[in-house]
Amino acid sequence: MSRFQALTNNVLDQELEMLREQLGLDPGQKADLLRELAALAAWVVRQAGQGRAIEAHRGGEVETLEHPALDRLRARGGKPVGAGLALRDDEIVRLAAVLDRGFDPPPALRTALANLADPKRRPPKVRWRKSVA
Amino acid sequence: MALRIEPFGRQHRAPAAEFHNQHPSLVEYLKRYALRHAEKDLLARTYVALDESSAALRIAGYFSLATVSVERASVTQLPKLDRLPRFPLPGILLARLAVDSRVQGQGLGRYLVEEALGITLQLAGAGPVGFRLLVTDAMDGDAAGFYDRFGLVRLGDACPCRMVLDLRPLLSTGR
Repeated sequence: MSRFQALTNNVLDQELEMLREQLGLDPGQKADLLRELAALAAWVVRQAGQGRAIEAHRGGEVETLEHPALDRLRARGGKPVGAGLALRDDEIVRLAAVLDRGFDPPPALRTALANLADPKRRPPKVRWRKSVA
Repeated sequence: MALRIEPFGRQHRAPAAEFHNQHPSLVEYLKRYALRHAEKDLLARTYVALDESSAALRIAGYFSLATVSVERASVTQLPKLDRLPRFPLPGILLARLAVDSRVQGQGLGRYLVEEALGITLQLAGAGPVGFRLLVTDAMDGDAAGFYDRFGLVRLGDACPCRMVLDLRPLLSTGR
């Protein structure tokens, strides 16, 4: 366990050293390095927390950031439960159109409302397939 | 035997462990977080569709509801939108909805949306607090198309995308 830990720490130190050089920081600026990495990581976590994919684009190539931490984040609260949803201006414009639209429900919604008003409404009977689709 | 819908509780942990869905996050939520969010953190309540037709109780599907507050991310002027109600707009968040992969395509998803809508309209129409919106986040294009049929409107073009339904016209038609 301690050997694994030592190896892990060694690799981590190397990666941090590489990042320090890439970000143009001096060897004595480890606190600055961690501060900058934390700022970058916070942005990634915030975007993922709002359900956005983190992608790198170059020409037609797209590389998506995949990491177990992001999977955990999405599973736990990718959609912030009970929180405030902050809409961008373009989303606000669409929301305004929705709120101005009045009553024009599509057929499935009309059916749903009619079903809800039906006292005989019951859940469907389902047939279980053996294999997972 | 038909399914029955009831709030997710401790007694459902065993059948939850057997729940299957193509989206791992929806399975993990039911197995790991639904009970905690409902009983400990009080963040969301999950309702399960239970099937008792076999020897073992099975969860055929579920949905989770929470409250939500819709706000503007910026404070820039939007003069053409002055008919908007004052922000924040309160609503109910259909946080998650999933059907077990083995019973998909048999109308259960539609029924669960109906059920979520029914609970929401009941609260909005006769509950002790007022709110205006039903909000959900569609995970992909298929989910967005599914919710679109029920009148939820996409606020963005990319997925996952936020979708909303204005409840006011639905409530006023019954008055």
